[in-house]
Amino acid sequence: MIRATLILARREWIRFFRQPHRVIGSLAQPLLIWAFLGAGFSPSFRTPGMEQISYTEYFYPGILLMLMLFSGIFSTITLIEDRAQGLMQGVLVSPAPRMAIVMGKVIGGIAIAGIQTLPLLLAAPLLDIPLTWSGLVWLTGGFLIATLGFTALGFLIAWNMESTAGFHAVMSVFLMPMWMLSGALFPLDHAPMWLKSLMIINPVTHALTLIRTPLYHSPMELLTSSSYWWAGGIAITWASACLVLALWRVNQVERGLDPARFISQSPKGPS
Amino acid sequence: MDDFSQVPAVHISRLHHVYPGTRHEAPRLALDGVNLNIPTGAFFVLTGPNGSGKSTLFKILSGLTRPGLGTVSIHGQDLLAVPNRVRRQMGVIFQRPALDKHLTVLENFQIHAGLHAIPSHQFQPRLDAALAWSDLQTRLHTRVGTLSGGLARQAELVKVLLHEPQLLLLDEPTAGLDPGGRMAFMSTLRRLQKKRNVTILMTSHIFAEAEQADLVGILRQGQLLAMDAPSRLTARLGNEILVIQADDPAAIAHTLTNRPELSWQIHNHELRIQGTQLPTLMADLLQAQRARIQTLAIKQPTLEDLYITLTGRALTSDEEEENR
Ligand SMILES: Nc1ncnc2c1ncn2[C@@H]1O[C@H](COP(=O)(O)OP(=O)(O)O)[C@@H](O)[C@H]1O
Ligand SMILES: [Mg+2]
Repeated sequence: MIRATLILARREWIRFFRQPHRVIGSLAQPLLIWAFLGAGFSPSFRTPGMEQISYTEYFYPGILLMLMLFSGIFSTITLIEDRAQGLMQGVLVSPAPRMAIVMGKVIGGIAIAGIQTLPLLLAAPLLDIPLTWSGLVWLTGGFLIATLGFTALGFLIAWNMESTAGFHAVMSVFLMPMWMLSGALFPLDHAPMWLKSLMIINPVTHALTLIRTPLYHSPMELLTSSSYWWAGGIAITWASACLVLALWRVNQVERGLDPARFISQSPKGPS
Repeated sequence: MDDFSQVPAVHISRLHHVYPGTRHEAPRLALDGVNLNIPTGAFFVLTGPNGSGKSTLFKILSGLTRPGLGTVSIHGQDLLAVPNRVRRQMGVIFQRPALDKHLTVLENFQIHAGLHAIPSHQFQPRLDAALAWSDLQTRLHTRVGTLSGGLARQAELVKVLLHEPQLLLLDEPTAGLDPGGRMAFMSTLRRLQKKRNVTILMTSHIFAEAEQADLVGILRQGQLLAMDAPSRLTARLGNEILVIQADDPAAIAHTLTNRPELSWQIHNHELRIQGTQLPTLMADLLQAQRARIQTLAIKQPTLEDLYITLTGRALTSDEEEENR
């Protein structure tokens, strides 16, 4: 089980580096958005309690989260290609447990997200963000929960998809809005009521809290903050629910209908 | 090849499979009561037109799909009850390529070894043994995407040989290969069967390939029409058949109605006659019906002829037939 998981994770990793456009694409887009929005909004951005930070800085955790979303989700797109080819069938007929397919994807996705988020993390000191080593440990925790959630969610969606076009559609009408309404672009506090409620029930909002808070607060402050604990609880519940659903889904074996019932429904057969 | 041992490699009984419908499609009966016994060590080819249910049967045999009704046992073990134990004995090659084309040949083999829990000290000797069946020795570090179709298929074969299966399932393994590639692949399979006593089940919609097998099954619309050694199957049509091409074959057939020892089918512009003393008949027809006949020939019946006789049609796809 462990060997099968690791070998499948390694495959994700090798494949990622063999496709340079993926490396560049998933890194460049968030960086461009960050640069343009940061430059455009910074002069006018003022939010109570955070007057001293620029929009570029406000947006920084959101961009980290976007990188995690992109690399987590896009690493599961390969699943659609694998299923269209015989590749996934090859894995499914092997004696390796089906769980290894999910775990291989998730671990591979997390590793890829890690290598993509790392360069941006180096930007923290440039923004005068008081990130400490212990803060980094907590940030890593948030990173693991968020990427786990995104990869498992991506897995669930991709497993039911026939084409990558369908996946991109889900990405733009469902996953991107989840990110936009997470507080990545604007703070929750001053949003209209309806938007605010959407944002509160959005698990990605809470994942973002796990990314943003360790940048500014010491571990001691985190441990005593009930809102941080709440966010952690909700995000962990979301990520594990996605993982459990993905594991359950992958273990479902396709099965045929009972022919007796089928024939009684349509006595002359299929056509 | 009559020295097959007693427990069959594959025993299938009353197998039915109905694909559940979707919003746009009604449920579809893909296998309709298939019974099949394949002795250990046999080379079995399942033929039939596209859409006849060959791949569905393979998906069930490899444990990817569970049938709605029927039983399958492999070497005496119930596939549906202990799928994992049974799967270890099988090597499966699907119709669609199952190698990662971004990875090298060797990397793909390593993944396979990992999935099949092949101990690492056994990997190299097994790889050497499996590679001996291929022309891939110098291509291990080539990316699969850049291999030719024939070599890619060989790579699939080497891959499944790594875990030393006793039963090989191959779904249209020669599809997309040129005639030379086909022949080479088939003869490799033949040698594998002989040297290692592997049972081989493959599908093909090419009758010429089926003629090289020990046993042939003909599937049509989910039903097994016939199953026997190819020579015995073609013998059902006698030693020879007379094939006449004509604009109006029915008119020629009409002149044969007083000859009860003959039987015939008409298919498009072809009249196929089975019976005895065909050379005499040929001479008679040439005299009496010359104007109507375009070509005529006596030939040894092939599996394709049997298929046409059994079904009254040429090998078109079952799906096309339904759409007509
Ligand atoms: N996943 C599926 N869902 C619904 N129907 C299917 C599916 N796969 C195959 N079929 C139908 O089942 C029948 C048999 O298909 P298949 O086993 O692929 O035939 P073959 O391999 O002989 O070409 C066809 O009518 C096909 O349309
Ligand atoms: Mg098929």
